[in-house]
Amino acid sequence: MQEPDEFDKLYRDHVDLIYRYAHRLCGETESAKDLVQETFLNAYQGLKDFRGEAKVSTWLYTIASRACMRMRRKRKGQPEHELSLDEFVPTSEGEFRLQIPMDGLSPEEALQNKELRQALDQAIDKLPQKYRMALVLRDMEGLSAKEVGNIMGLNERAVKSRLHRARLFVRRELSARGITHHDNHESGGVNS
Amino acid sequence: MTKKKTAAPKKRSRPSSHPHTHGQGHCVDLLRQLSAYIDDELPSDICREIRRHLGACPNCEVFIASLQHTVTLCQHHPAPQLTSVDRMNMRRAILDVANAR
Repeated sequence: MQEPDEFDKLYRDHVDLIYRYAHRLCGETESAKDLVQETFLNAYQGLKDFRGEAKVSTWLYTIASRACMRMRRKRKGQPEHELSLDEFVPTSEGEFRLQIPMDGLSPEEALQNKELRQALDQAIDKLPQKYRMALVLRDMEGLSAKEVGNIMGLNERAVKSRLHRARLFVRRELSARGITHHDNHESGGVNS
Repeated sequence: MTKKKTAAPKKRSRPSSHPHTHGQGHCVDLLRQLSAYIDDELPSDICREIRRHLGACPNCEVFIASLQHTVTLCQHHPAPQLTSVDRMNMRRAILDVANAR
């Protein structure tokens, strides 16, 4: 058994980080909490073997990512499809010129648009998991491609390939919605 | 309120006489490299070539702006928060399961 103090420090220092990651991966609160508990349970059991070769946060991201994939396999959903670059090649001038409504706004201001924020959440949620994981770790958690590769067990080239497809997918989903930012601003940005 | 600028696509060089080859493969080649371009991972000569293409191809210029906006929105997506009660309850549940094993 671990020293309670050691686990408590690990938990206290990283639970918010892992919850944020879990919520971004799962897209909803209860599954995210399940994933956090599974992650820290595994960490509790593996803490004695952790030698500090990676950053603690990287170790926890790795445990969470594997737990997330196990949880998905248990749910036995439809097999995930691969995203091909070809599907993102615009076939018309109109598709090329789809835009995301941000003109003149900061990203924070743009995300106060409820419709845009929901569209972003839905687009990320629709991504096949392995692409979503690359996007979340790189663009939302802010890790380097090398760190993402270590967590996902991929080389950097494969990470970048998945990330690029994930971005193109989200871009297409967002821009195809034809969102306008004039009618949907919320004053506080939190009322849904 | 002062509005911050969103991350804009990189400055392009002045419009050039680069032939517009939209529909002949240039735009598709560019599409394959856009993330690497946005992330500043390409050699300078390729960046120059891309900027030259963007200067001559409004479609690609709009496309790259929308991809850059997508990345920016993801980077600024608000993070969900745990309550202190949730933190405490989850900690207790983890330790209960761990100690029962």
